[in-house]
Amino acid sequence: MKIIACYSNKGGVGKTATSVNLAYASAMKGRSTLLCDLDPQGASGFYFRVKPSKKLQNKAFFKDVKGFLEAIRASDFDNLDLLPANLTYRDFDIFLSRMKNSRSRLKKALREVNSDYDVVILDCPPNISLLSENVFKTADKIVVPVIPTTLSVRTFEQLNDFFKENDYQRKKLMPFFSMVQKSKKLHNETMIALRKNYKSLLKNYIPFSSEIEKMGIHRAPVLTYAGKDFAANAYGKIWNEIEAQAKIT
Amino acid sequence: MEPFTYFLPSALNQKRLLKKLPSAAQYRISFETSEKWQGLLLDTFDEKMLHAGKLLFQVEERLLCLDLQNGQLIEQLSPEKWSFAGDLPDGPVKDLLNQISTLRAFLPMAEVGLSLLHGLLLDEEEKTRARFYHLSIERGRKSAGVGSTQYLRGYDQAQVDLRRSLEKIGAVSCQDVGQVYDFLKIKREKYTSKPTLLLHPDAPVKENAIIIINAFMKTARRNESGVVADYDTEFLHDYRVSLRKVRSVLSLFKGVFSAEDTTRLKQDFASLMQKTNTLRDLDVYLLNKEQYFELVPATTHEGLNILFAYFAGERKKEQSLVGKVIQSKIYLKEIGRLEKLFTKSSALPVGQRGEENSLAFACTSVLKRYGKVCKIARDIDENTEDSVIHQLRINCKKLRYLMEFFTPLFPENEINTLIKALKLLQDNLGNFNDYSVQQRFLKQVLSEKMPRFGGVELKVAESVGALTAMLHRLQQKERRQVMKNFALFDNLDTRATFAKLFHTEESVDENNSLLQ
Repeated sequence: MKIIACYSNKGGVGKTATSVNLAYASAMKGRSTLLCDLDPQGASGFYFRVKPSKKLQNKAFFKDVKGFLEAIRASDFDNLDLLPANLTYRDFDIFLSRMKNSRSRLKKALREVNSDYDVVILDCPPNISLLSENVFKTADKIVVPVIPTTLSVRTFEQLNDFFKENDYQRKKLMPFFSMVQKSKKLHNETMIALRKNYKSLLKNYIPFSSEIEKMGIHRAPVLTYAGKDFAANAYGKIWNEIEAQAKIT
Repeated sequence: MEPFTYFLPSALNQKRLLKKLPSAAQYRISFETSEKWQGLLLDTFDEKMLHAGKLLFQVEERLLCLDLQNGQLIEQLSPEKWSFAGDLPDGPVKDLLNQISTLRAFLPMAEVGLSLLHGLLLDEEEKTRARFYHLSIERGRKSAGVGSTQYLRGYDQAQVDLRRSLEKIGAVSCQDVGQVYDFLKIKREKYTSKPTLLLHPDAPVKENAIIIINAFMKTARRNESGVVADYDTEFLHDYRVSLRKVRSVLSLFKGVFSAEDTTRLKQDFASLMQKTNTLRDLDVYLLNKEQYFELVPATTHEGLNILFAYFAGERKKEQSLVGKVIQSKIYLKEIGRLEKLFTKSSALPVGQRGEENSLAFACTSVLKRYGKVCKIARDIDENTEDSVIHQLRINCKKLRYLMEFFTPLFPENEINTLIKALKLLQDNLGNFNDYSVQQRFLKQVLSEKMPRFGGVELKVAESVGALTAMLHRLQQKERRQVMKNFALFDNLDTRATFAKLFHTEESVDENNSLLQ
């Protein structure tokens, strides 16, 4: 089982769209995939029409194996299941800080689904917290959407520094450009500049697309209703890069 | 949660099903129904699909396969005409059929009308909570359906609700394809190459001999039409095995019929079988084609291709001959005459041991044969002549046949354990013999048939040479396994079981020493 986190310490960069569409791309390739919605807003669940879990309190997520497994819901697509978010996740940090070895709790919890899934994708909330540190430790790869704008690039650099200072494995980070508008000079220049500094940047990027914005209306992965859209297909290509680097066989 | 795989003994009424859903849950079902197709239900002659709980349908250039054991429905494209799993393009149905049988042809069992429905149980957010498919099958005026629900993780209640609603409209849990056949009045072949023998332990042995022969003659005859139509090679194989068993009863049940009758009858059955010898040899060759190509270097493949093209041509001729024989008046008269001899009103005079008690007869015969096998096998070493190995093979086969014939007289588990214990050794000896027969056949090609390969004799001879060398090596390899496999068979447990099952007062003197 490989754990791929989708993370950014900045909001509004297309994180949930990425998680949902990458999970779908993984499932379409026949990999048994679990998408864990760790963001209390529960947007991943919304896209799959899965209601937030009433039962799964945050304590259960980390301690009660049965409760954790019972909260998993099948999506409408083959090979793709979802662990819906719960609003009480917002108390994760407080909760985790009270527990022993809090930084590896997530790993323990996910171990319970090890045999069921080839791939677990974590849709993370946008902050650096105890929960995100759990994610940094647990995930095999961390996919980071970066909009090629100054502010977004700055946040990625901050994340990179944070990894360095705290001895997290920087090779886990897999940044890629998101919501790219090729018509914008700034986007093009930023992309060229950043590619020079970060060799780990994925080759493929996700262009800005109105089809992706419409996910909220369709409540489904973009590939299911806009299969010919360039942006929709870009997720598939990005997933292929992730598979190769994470050695998902 | 397990899928609910069901049989519905009526047409599916969608409105009724919707009405039976619990109203509080605010479900709706989205139905997607196919057009109506004309299709064929397919199975092998020995109903392998039915026994495995599977239904296979051909609909134009597509195959649908429904597995009642696990509820799965798989489909793939296929040519409209095909016979064997190997004829199909790669796909999930082919993979499954390959596991069912690579040798048997899939034949039409019934014409049916079909339509397939996929249903989604949706909640008020339009999220799918359970799925099911339903295959409607019509035959004549009868309508039925088979289907299965698909559980979606985390939606246990929806699965339960869907199952209950289906049950309320008459669906019943079903793993047995026979139920579907019976309801739609589809004729079952009910063929088996191993007929169940109803023997009485205290009956005179002649009576039981007649029951056994009768059963195997019937089995042989059930294969005749398949041999003529040439659906697959198993018809001829089963036909021959059955007749061979008849001959074995005649020779193994010594003294049950008079000596003259026995000799004559054995000869009569031998003549019947003889007419099919060449065809079976060619079948075996052609079935092993791939394996032979793998055995020899690629440089000899050209010659081998010519040789196999020749075999295929010969087989065609031979098959047509055998077909004509089996349809001929002479054959039908002869087999009819033989069949009549082995009915309840058999006119065959009883031999000197024919009135013996069957159980006692079985015990002495099996034990005697077992003794003979042990005696031959225990003297075998690296230097033993091949002819002795052949002797061992023949005696092992006789021992197995005896035990199989008499199985109904003994505790099933124990006698089957012995038959199973013998299997490894028998397979080993069987291979040894097959390689030897095949070498002989090739030798015959080399000595008699070479003029047929005008211009390419050298290529053919080269490949025959290479193949013969490989077969010889394989035969020697089997030869070296015989001692080891006999030692495995000849363990204390097996000895004890033989002694326990077949030990009678009469059999003590002769065989006691062998069982110690």
